[in-house]
Amino acid sequence: MAETTEKPFTLSVPDADIELLHKKLELARFPDELEGAGWDYGAPLADIKRLVAHWKQGFDWRKAEAEINKLPMFTRDIEVEGHGKLNIHYVHQKSEVKDAIPLLFVHGWPGDFLEVRKLLPLLTAKSSDNPSFHVVAISLPGFGFSEAPKKPGFAGRQYAEVLNNLMLSLGYNEYVYQGGDWGHIVGMHTVHHFGHKHIKAWHSNMPLSSRRPTLLTHPLILINTVFATTFDKSAREGIAKTLKFVQKGRGYFMEQATKPQTLGYSLEDSPVGLLAWIYEKLVGWTDSYPWTDDEVLEWISIYWFSRSGPAAAGRIYYEMTRGNSSEIFAGAQWSSVPLGVSYFPGELGRMPKSWSHLLGKLVFESEHDKGGHFAAFEQPEKLAGDLRKMYGKGGPAHGVVPGKNGYD
Amino acid sequence: MAADKAGAEQPFTISIPQAELDLLRQKLVLIRFPDEIEGAGWDYGVPLEDTRRLIAHWKDAFDWRAAEADINLLPMFTRDIAIEGFGTLNIHYIHKRSEIAKAIPLLFVHGWPGHFLEVRKLLPLLTAGSPDHPSFHVVAVSLPGFGFSETPKKPGFAGRQYAELVNKLMLSLGYDEYVYQGGDWGHAVGAHLATHFGHRNLKAWHSNMPLSDKPKLFSHPIAFIRNLFPHDKTTREGLQVTAEFLSKGCGYMTEQKTKPQTLGYSLADSPVGLLAWIYEKLVTWTDSYPWTDDEVLEWVSIYWFSRAGPAASIRIYYEMMGGGSKDRLSGTKWTSIPLGLSYFPREHWRLPKSWGATLGKVVMRSQHDKGGHFAAFEQPEALADDVRKMFAKGGPAYGVVAGKDGYA
Repeated sequence: MAETTEKPFTLSVPDADIELLHKKLELARFPDELEGAGWDYGAPLADIKRLVAHWKQGFDWRKAEAEINKLPMFTRDIEVEGHGKLNIHYVHQKSEVKDAIPLLFVHGWPGDFLEVRKLLPLLTAKSSDNPSFHVVAISLPGFGFSEAPKKPGFAGRQYAEVLNNLMLSLGYNEYVYQGGDWGHIVGMHTVHHFGHKHIKAWHSNMPLSSRRPTLLTHPLILINTVFATTFDKSAREGIAKTLKFVQKGRGYFMEQATKPQTLGYSLEDSPVGLLAWIYEKLVGWTDSYPWTDDEVLEWISIYWFSRSGPAAAGRIYYEMTRGNSSEIFAGAQWSSVPLGVSYFPGELGRMPKSWSHLLGKLVFESEHDKGGHFAAFEQPEKLAGDLRKMYGKGGPAHGVVPGKNGYD
Repeated sequence: MAADKAGAEQPFTISIPQAELDLLRQKLVLIRFPDEIEGAGWDYGVPLEDTRRLIAHWKDAFDWRAAEADINLLPMFTRDIAIEGFGTLNIHYIHKRSEIAKAIPLLFVHGWPGHFLEVRKLLPLLTAGSPDHPSFHVVAVSLPGFGFSETPKKPGFAGRQYAELVNKLMLSLGYDEYVYQGGDWGHAVGAHLATHFGHRNLKAWHSNMPLSDKPKLFSHPIAFIRNLFPHDKTTREGLQVTAEFLSKGCGYMTEQKTKPQTLGYSLADSPVGLLAWIYEKLVTWTDSYPWTDDEVLEWVSIYWFSRAGPAASIRIYYEMMGGGSKDRLSGTKWTSIPLGLSYFPREHWRLPKSWGATLGKVVMRSQHDKGGHFAAFEQPEALADDVRKMFAKGGPAYGVVAGKDGYA
């Protein structure tokens, strides 16, 4: 058996770190707010004050930590060409079904590995009606408890390598993939580099890209788009929503893509600043998800106590856009690896459905009437249901991984 | 001194409560720094080395009380100004009269991340009496939400309101007719002021940040035609710099014009976050200005100790740019009051000079070979010189204010 650097991982934040957090919370200095501002100017003051008060007295990090530690977590060194070894943190839960389908779940920003939590029991459960999965949920480099890259230039190819090498190191030479947000974007890159050979199919709950149909390249999609936007109210609403996001929702993106270090000083030093920065998305990007204060604070705590610190995570925007000078999908070409997509109404934006064909070989589509950007967290049954349909008996991607079709 | 009634001028001295200084110090002691990519330099934002050094200086060497005492040597005042729909705002300003009785009243308006002290080096130059050049009575206002002025409490405080406020301030000081100098938001406020109170009260204005729209054929035929021809090398380079600024230097602006409250939590709570956010501009927007640590920290302290807090100041972007959906000159009109423009080489808005014609009746253009965005601070002699030339005997705006030509 080859030597492995895999170690079981237990989250154990030092007492000193918790004390520092509380000292900072005691010294919190709040801004003012305009009368009747609501959410117009960003996260409301009343929300943030309430959350800080709960963080000071009420939220029990050790209890949350103990719960997280019930998940099967590990770390191991993964080599990435030009970047040396990164120690990577991940959840790895096997199904009792021996021939379960190996699935890699990849989060985004401001997400984290725990977004897989509610999916785990659903995907790994044994059933004669549904396929089962062995699930690996990685903390991307710079997120959660994975090391961050130390050198510039860790982008599409590098993310693809770290993800693929992780799966190979776990003995999963062939596997499937699920992601949204950066999970979707690096999915495009990973499929480009390792599709067919290693990735046999993939699924996205954020089917967006900057590809556009043109008359020369995709005449049918273009014509379909014209019809859809003329006659289909839902398609028009989707585009209007996308435009609104572009106009009013991209401040975080622009700063993180151009000056992540400058912003990073705030996020690293101020728990209130970090809370507001992320909470705004937790509410703004979900479909009326009924957040409890504990859920929010646990989520923020993962960032606050992350191995590389909250500032490191934002660098993915800089690296993937080369400081906003190139396109996040640049280098990831269309692939014929089977692709499934799920449309959730609260997603940041929506392009005409026909544009999903521009992302890959579309074999599965599913539309929902509830759920937003953090689909795995908000609507785990729906998302798991989509994966079961896609890979189940009679499904369009059934048996893509030879010898592991998800059933005993 | 003057009776205590609303509207009456009160002399003003800065006296930050010791509790505020203590809180700052407690926070400085607990600062948590982020990591940094190897060899990052300024690529990702403010370098860690700079930030660490400045924080150490802030903690152990910078003497706020000494800086405060120095600032208090300036003639500062506050008074209530009523703004339609917004009640009264207590406004802070410097008012320094020249010994020349017929000096020209001049209003100086700062921008972001600037403040009233940007006028400091100009004061002795503009108020000095001489037979060789005109003199000025100088008023330098702290815009609402900046420095020691109150901030508006309701949404919607925009171009018209800023114009009304600064105009009322000048009227309340007995200056029915006056001239104006500004850059950054001072430039935009100047355009709104000219629109609403040009001729009647504002007789001429000068800007060191000539940001404007492209010329349109029917409104500015000559400028339009000129703009059709290939630009010279300097102009082309300038446009490239502007494009670079828009793609790589506008993260702060995008966030501030869409989610100022969210960002505000960080700036209000974290001295290192605020320091980095502002320092990045102090360095990248100036022409190799040799900042001392004391200069930087005094500058940032004005924001940290500001009356309304640092979060209030960034709301100007949201209000003036319609939450991301309109531009800062919306609602302004071309006027025929004389306009002077100064071009400094390291300003980040470097548009073709012919575009200035869309702002107003340009009577003077002055090109410099040194200086950047904070012209009054970096190149006070050059800027004072431009203003003097514009209003001098034989100058293009001589005698615009009746009975006050600036000479004995």
